[in-house]
Amino acid sequence: MSLRRWLVVAALFVVAFVASRYGHAAGDATGRNLFTYPYNVDDLPNGLRLVTVPTDYPNLVALYIVVRAGSRDEVEPGKSGYAHLFEHLMFRGSENFTPEQRDAIMKGAGADTNASTNQDRTTYYVVFSKEDLDEVFKVEADRFQHLKYSEPAYKTESLAVLGEYNKNSAAPTQKLDEVLYETAFKEHTYAHTTMGYLKDVQDMPNQYGYSLEFYNRFYRPEYTTVLVVGDVTHDGALELTKKYFGAWARGSYEPKIPAEPPQMESRTAHVDWPSPTLPWLAVAFKGPAYSDETKDKPALDLLREIAFGENSDLYRRLVLQQQKLDDLGVDFGNHPDPELFTAYARIKDVKDVDDVRAQVLQTFARFTKENVDQTKLDATRSRMRYSFALRMNSSPAIAAALAPYILLKRTPDTINKVFELYQQVTPEDIRATAAKYFTENNRTVVTLATQAGTK
Amino acid sequence: MRDRRVAFALVLAALLQTPAFTQTASVLQHGTSPLITFRILFMTGSAFDPTGKEGLASLTAAMLGEGGSRSKAYQQIVDEMYPMATSLNWQVDKEMTVFTGTTHVENLDRFYGLINDMLLDPGFRQEDFTRVRDEAVNFLKVSLRESNDEELGKEYLYNAIYAGHPYGHHNRGTVSSLQKLTVADVRAFYREHYTRANLLLGLAGNYPSGFAEKVAADLAKLPAGAPDGKRFEPPPLPAGSRMAILTRDTRSTAISLGFPIDVNRASPDWPALAVAVSYLGEHRSSNGYLYGWLREARGLNYGDYAYLEYFPRGMFQFTPDPNLARQQQIFQIWIRPVEVNTGVFTLRAALYGYDKFVRDGLSREAFEATRQFLTKYSNILTQTQSARLGYALDSRYYGIGDYNSYLRDALAKLTLDDVNRAIKQHLARDRMQIVIVTKDAKPFQDAVARNTPSPIVYNSPKPKEIMDEDAIIEAYRITVKPQDVAVVPVERVFQ
Repeated sequence: MSLRRWLVVAALFVVAFVASRYGHAAGDATGRNLFTYPYNVDDLPNGLRLVTVPTDYPNLVALYIVVRAGSRDEVEPGKSGYAHLFEHLMFRGSENFTPEQRDAIMKGAGADTNASTNQDRTTYYVVFSKEDLDEVFKVEADRFQHLKYSEPAYKTESLAVLGEYNKNSAAPTQKLDEVLYETAFKEHTYAHTTMGYLKDVQDMPNQYGYSLEFYNRFYRPEYTTVLVVGDVTHDGALELTKKYFGAWARGSYEPKIPAEPPQMESRTAHVDWPSPTLPWLAVAFKGPAYSDETKDKPALDLLREIAFGENSDLYRRLVLQQQKLDDLGVDFGNHPDPELFTAYARIKDVKDVDDVRAQVLQTFARFTKENVDQTKLDATRSRMRYSFALRMNSSPAIAAALAPYILLKRTPDTINKVFELYQQVTPEDIRATAAKYFTENNRTVVTLATQAGTK
Repeated sequence: MRDRRVAFALVLAALLQTPAFTQTASVLQHGTSPLITFRILFMTGSAFDPTGKEGLASLTAAMLGEGGSRSKAYQQIVDEMYPMATSLNWQVDKEMTVFTGTTHVENLDRFYGLINDMLLDPGFRQEDFTRVRDEAVNFLKVSLRESNDEELGKEYLYNAIYAGHPYGHHNRGTVSSLQKLTVADVRAFYREHYTRANLLLGLAGNYPSGFAEKVAADLAKLPAGAPDGKRFEPPPLPAGSRMAILTRDTRSTAISLGFPIDVNRASPDWPALAVAVSYLGEHRSSNGYLYGWLREARGLNYGDYAYLEYFPRGMFQFTPDPNLARQQQIFQIWIRPVEVNTGVFTLRAALYGYDKFVRDGLSREAFEATRQFLTKYSNILTQTQSARLGYALDSRYYGIGDYNSYLRDALAKLTLDDVNRAIKQHLARDRMQIVIVTKDAKPFQDAVARNTPSPIVYNSPKPKEIMDEDAIIEAYRITVKPQDVAVVPVERVFQ
C-alpha cells in the first residue's frame, strides 16, 4: 500500500521535475534537459518496455517493475482493493520458486525488496548487489509470468491485507480520504481508495477465482515496464530482460474506466470521529490529469506551492501568525485521469474550523482573480528544480523518482518535457487555470472532528 | 562489560575534546557529489532534560531548526530557503541532538549563512516558542496517542522499561511538562549544552577547499563548556514480566514487547546479536522468522519484526535514521495490529515463538544466510551520502571505526556458537515488558489471571504442524502476575 498521506505536510513536495546528474555536472540543475542521466528505452515484441539508467554509484542495482494496475482499474462493484491485494499475492510463490526459495535468494542478495500500490500503478522493487543481477532477474520474472498460489495461501494473505487496513485505521486521515473520494467521484473508480472499502477487504477471502482473473488481466507485458538503475550496463540489462521476460505472452484486456461526469454542484461531507482528535479540513477541486504537452497541470503544480506552501500568505497567516493550524498541505499527484487538488489543514481548536475554511476558500478564490507575483513564480520554479536535484542521491532514489513517470509515459523524457512547460508558465496562465478549475461547482469540502460526547 | 564502559566513556571524552584544526571535532567526507550534506551533532538530548522540564532538549532543537535567528524572523528564513528547496532539520534522542541539511553546492554559501545564523545566534522569540510547543503537545496528544497505535505502543514500551531512569520519558516530553516550559528554560538549556565540548561536525560532498575549516572555526565560537558525556546505567527494572494495557477506542490491537539488554554497537556481542535479531525479524522484511510464522503461515497481521536498537517511525521508513546512538538499548519485538479477537492468541504465539527461538537458536544454514545478508545489506543502509555521514558520526560515538568495514570484519569472524551463546546470554526473557493498545483489556487480564485459553479459527485449512503448535499456543502461559498488569487509559499516557 502506498503511503497515502500520514500527515499531509509530508507530501508537500512529493514530485518535482528537475534533475542534476549527481557526481558529474554540478551545474546541470540550470541546464535545459533536467534528467541528464543517459538512459535507454527498449521495447520487446511482446509489449514489455525496458528502461535502463546506468549510474556511477558503485555496487548497488535498483530493479523496479511498474505494472499499470491500480485501484483505478477496479471497475466491478464489491471488488475494491484488488490491485493492492495483488501486491501481496505476488510474494506468495510462483511455479519455479516457492515463497521460501524466493526469500532465500533475496536474503542471499542482501536485498531490500518490497512493493507499493496507488490509484494507477503497482510498483515492485528490489535493491541489491550487482553480482546477483542474473539471479534476481530470474526470480522476479518468474512471478510476473508464472505466479502460483493455493486457495489456502490466498485466504491467509487476504488476512494480512486486513491487517494492513487495521494498522492504518487508527489515523483519522484514512477515513477522511475515504469520504472525500467517494463524495467527489460518483462514476470514476477514483471514488474508492487504494486500500479499498472495509467490506470488500473482509470479503476478499471468498474471491480466489476473481483474484486469478485479475492476474490474467493485468500481469501482462504490455502493462509492464522494467526499470533498471545503478551499477549496470544497457547491454547486460537488455540481455537479461530478453532472456527472462521474452516469452511472456501479451494479454488482451482493457479496462473500461468510467469517465467522471462534470460536477454540477458544490459538495460537502462530515466525518464524526469516535475518539479525540484535532479537526481536519479538506478542500478539494477536480484538477487536470497529468500531461507533458499542455500547461494546466504544471500551472497548478506551481500554484500549489505559491498558494499553500511554507512561504505562502496563507501559511504565514494561519500557521505562523494566528497559529490556528499545525498542519497545512496539498495533495495533487500526477494521474492519467483528472484527480483531486486537495488542501488539507489540521486545526488546533474546533472553534476555528469555520474561519479556517473561509480563509482556505478565499485563497482558492484569490488566485482565480489575481496574477501571482513574477518573483515568487521564479523562486518556485527554482525550488522545484532543486527539490528534484536533492532527491537524486542514490540509485534507488533515482529509480523511485522515475517510477511514477514510467507509469504515466514509460520514458524519463517526460520529466524534461514537463520541466520545459514549467519554464513557459506565466502568471496569467496560472490565474486562468485556477479560474478554470477552482469553481464552486467543482468543489468538495470534507471536515472531520471528534464526535460530540466523546471524552 | 564495566571495563568496556569506562573505556568507552574515555574514548568519547577524548574525541569530543580533540582540538582538530579549530577546537571543533569533525568527521569530513569530502567527495564528488554536488550535494553538500551537513550533520551537526551535539552530544546532548532528552536524557539531559531537567526533572520537571521533560521535553526541553527537544523544544530547544525545535527553536533552532524551526525558529528565527536574532537578525531574521523565522518567516524570513523560510523565504530565503524556499528557492533552494532546503531546510534545517532536527532530531533529538536521549543522548544526541542532530541538525541536518543538504544543499546543492550552487547554494552553499547562502544556505550555510542561514544555518550558521540559526544555530549560533538564535532569536528565541515567544511566538516561535508558542508554535513549536503547541506542535510538540499536539504530537503527543493527537498524532501519537490518537492516530498511530503502533508507535504509541513502541514508545510506551520505552517509558515502561526506563521508568525512574533519565531515558524514562518520551523525547518530546510530556503534555504537562511542556505546558510549564518557558523561553527562559530554552535559553538556559542552549547555553549549557550547545557547547564545543558536546559538538561533532559532520560534512560531506564536494564542498570547496577551505570551507570545512571555515565552518569549524565558526562553530568554535560556541562556549567551550564541559562534555555532557555522562554514563547511563541500565534501567532499575525489577525482576519479572509486566504488562501495560493502553485502552482507547480503536478497531484493532497493537502489541510491543521487549526488555533492556546490556549490549550496544560498541559491545563485543553486538554483531552476534545483530545476526540473531535479523534472523528473528529484520525490519520490514518478509525474511524474518516471526514474519513467516505469524503473518505468512497464520495471516495474523501485516508484519512482525525485532530490534536491537531504537528505531522510531518504523512504519514510515525502511531504513533507520542515524544519530540515535545510546549507551543503553533494549531488545524489542513489534507485532503489527491484529484483529481484536485474535489479540491474546497473537501475544501467546509471539511469546511461544520467541521462547522457541531462544531455546533452539539458529541453524547453521540460517546463520550462514543471515550473515551473508547483513554483510551485503550494510551497503543498502548506507546508500546515501547523508546516511554514510550519519553512520560515521555514530561510529565515532561507539568507537568502532567505519561501520561497513567493522560489520563486515566482525561478521567474517563470527561463528554459529557465538550467535547461539549470545542469544542465551542476552535474550533470556525474565523481564519481558508487554505493551498492548486495545479497546478492551479484559481478555488479556483473563488470560493472565486464569490462563483462559484463546483458541483461533482460521478461514482456510492449515497444515498439521501449525494446528499442533496452535494447540499449545492457545493456552501458553503468559508469565505475568495478575498484580503486574496495569490498565492505562490512553489519556494518561505521556500526560
